Amino acid sequence: MIQLTNTLLALTLLSVLLSLGSDRLVSLIKIMTFQGIIVSLIPLTLLFQEHHGEIGAGNVLIFQAMLIIKGILIPWFLFMALKKVKMRREIEPIIGYHASTFAGLFFILMSTFIADRFFQIILNNEHVLLLITAITTLSAGLFLLISRKKAITQVIGYLMMENGIYLLGSTLAKQTHTQYVVEFGVLLDILVAIMIMGIVLHNINSTYDGMDTGDLDSLHDLDSNRSLFHRLKG
Amino acid sequence: MLELTILIPLLAGGVIMFFPVQLGRKIMIATGLIHLLLTLTVTIGGAPPCISKYFSTTPEGLLILLVTSFIFFFIAIYAGSYMQEVELSSEPLYLGCNLLFLSSMSMVALADHLVVLWIAIEATTLMSAPLIFLHRSKKALEATWKYVMICSVGIALALLGCFLIVLSMDLSGSHVPLTFSSLAQIAEQLDPTWLKAGFIFLIIGYGTKMGLAPMHTWLPDAHSEAPSPASALLSGALLNCAFLGVYRGHQLLYQAGLGEFSGNILISFGLLSMLIAAIFIFDQTGYKRMLAYSSIENMGIIAFGVGIGGLATYGAMLHLIHHSLIKSSLFLSAGNILLGYGSKLVEKTGDMAKLFPKTFIAFFAGFAGISGFPPFGVFISEVLIIMGAFQQGRTLAGTIFILALIFIFAGASRLVMRMSFGTFNKEILVEEKWIRVLPSYALLCTSFILCVWLPDSLYEIILSAIATVGGGING
Repeated sequence: MIQLTNTLLALTLLSVLLSLGSDRLVSLIKIMTFQGIIVSLIPLTLLFQEHHGEIGAGNVLIFQAMLIIKGILIPWFLFMALKKVKMRREIEPIIGYHASTFAGLFFILMSTFIADRFFQIILNNEHVLLLITAITTLSAGLFLLISRKKAITQVIGYLMMENGIYLLGSTLAKQTHTQYVVEFGVLLDILVAIMIMGIVLHNINSTYDGMDTGDLDSLHDLDSNRSLFHRLKG
Repeated sequence: MLELTILIPLLAGGVIMFFPVQLGRKIMIATGLIHLLLTLTVTIGGAPPCISKYFSTTPEGLLILLVTSFIFFFIAIYAGSYMQEVELSSEPLYLGCNLLFLSSMSMVALADHLVVLWIAIEATTLMSAPLIFLHRSKKALEATWKYVMICSVGIALALLGCFLIVLSMDLSGSHVPLTFSSLAQIAEQLDPTWLKAGFIFLIIGYGTKMGLAPMHTWLPDAHSEAPSPASALLSGALLNCAFLGVYRGHQLLYQAGLGEFSGNILISFGLLSMLIAAIFIFDQTGYKRMLAYSSIENMGIIAFGVGIGGLATYGAMLHLIHHSLIKSSLFLSAGNILLGYGSKLVEKTGDMAKLFPKTFIAFFAGFAGISGFPPFGVFISEVLIIMGAFQQGRTLAGTIFILALIFIFAGASRLVMRMSFGTFNKEILVEEKWIRVLPSYALLCTSFILCVWLPDSLYEIILSAIATVGGGING
């Protein structure tokens, strides 16, 4: 079972790198679907490993819900959102694709360091790869969120971050009797965010053409003609 | 039946969307009144919790519930008249979401469970986002997107903070329910390293929602684009609720003997928020944005006071009450100004003293109050915080605090003077009405009354709330 878990983790890391380097929105959503399914399977394999195949009914229910939401509902929603836009590619990302992929590699390195340095004491060695994957996914999601301009890519970044938090949560809080806390929290978070962002996404789409958050820059603190900078220039 | 304070607005909010608008407004006011009465019952101890696993009455929660419920009632009275003038097509949505928002804020105030608190704060984001998007303009859309995006990321980080606190409990080898009351009993056994890490994530997460700099960037946009009654509620009630999340984290750390660590973090975030507000308020062009930056400043003051400890914590709690009262009153006045002049820009207003005398009194008195002039309560709370800071030997922090206050007063007063006495020679759009100024007066009067006479029960609540973080009236 350890082998299976590790294979899944490696696939997650692969999907993270792929998503950072992909410029087509359709393939980005496909990668996210893949990642969502993998990530919701990982805690299941962990449980199997611990309890030797004995999983309670509650657990099965939670994992099913997780799989349905991450594997079917969210991708469906994302495809629906994409259908409405003419745009197929993320043009002019704030940070380019090659640089992003490189950043992804850097995140892996960084999370290996963090896992090694801080968590070594508290976890037995078998979960180290899980931890590395979790921190990488979390930071790559945040990176995607800030380095892309399209609203839909930002939502994808947010989802990736949630995946990371879910993995981290199931690594850290696994031992306690409060394990539903993690699943429930993450599920709720995702549902809420998807609902709200879906509505807003729809409206960005109809108010602006093409869901570009780069257009969302009309709210400023200073009047551009009156700013201190302009005054200094004379 | 403690949970009724959550359930009643929840039910009313769900139903109200299907009623005609006229009736809906009345239901909202009635629900506000019922909620206020229920809250008072809870305060005198007449309503034990049904699900004590998740909910309980804590003094700090009660304090925030009282403030929220009180200002909601007056905002509801105002909102009816305001919405009549604006004639929004989405008004049923406003009425419904407003009540659901109240319900989720009550849940924050009463939550005792680590994750229930988190869920409740997440729910406030969900319920308040439609309120910001009410005008359906491009700018409202931008503000909503920023709000949802930044706060969701913040809240997700807070969840991570919760996990780390669970981890620190696991490492200590003890197993108790994840409620703050039971965590408090084993606080000293918790693993200090992970508790600290958890607190950092909590303060970044909930601090985003509370508007602490540098995570405050959504706040001026959201508060200026939301309709004024909604801004009043966001500023007067929501920020307090997010503060409660931070406060509970600080409590836990104090009980674990790490109060100094969390206190110092709170002080630095507080001072940074005040300085950032002081810089940005100086050259502000919109009056609602100015009020929003003032909220950031005041949240900074509260965080600073709690971080200092001792007498300053008492000041911070007083400040929380008076800031909510005065700031919501200011936002209500700003709603009248927006109706009258039809613009959020300071330069398109003027001569308020002549054109809108009633609103002028409320706005100017509110401004004097929020800047710390007697006879309003902010004066006392700020003096107490400054005294507390010097008592504890934090001279540098105290000095920066005073300087920031002066800068903010200077920056804001320039705008307020321009609005009140500047020239204006165009037609005004909507006349002011008594029904739209009386709620502001009532909120200001409450602040004044609480300043000269603090009821004993309220005093007791504040004292027992701050005792858990080592605060007290005797320093």
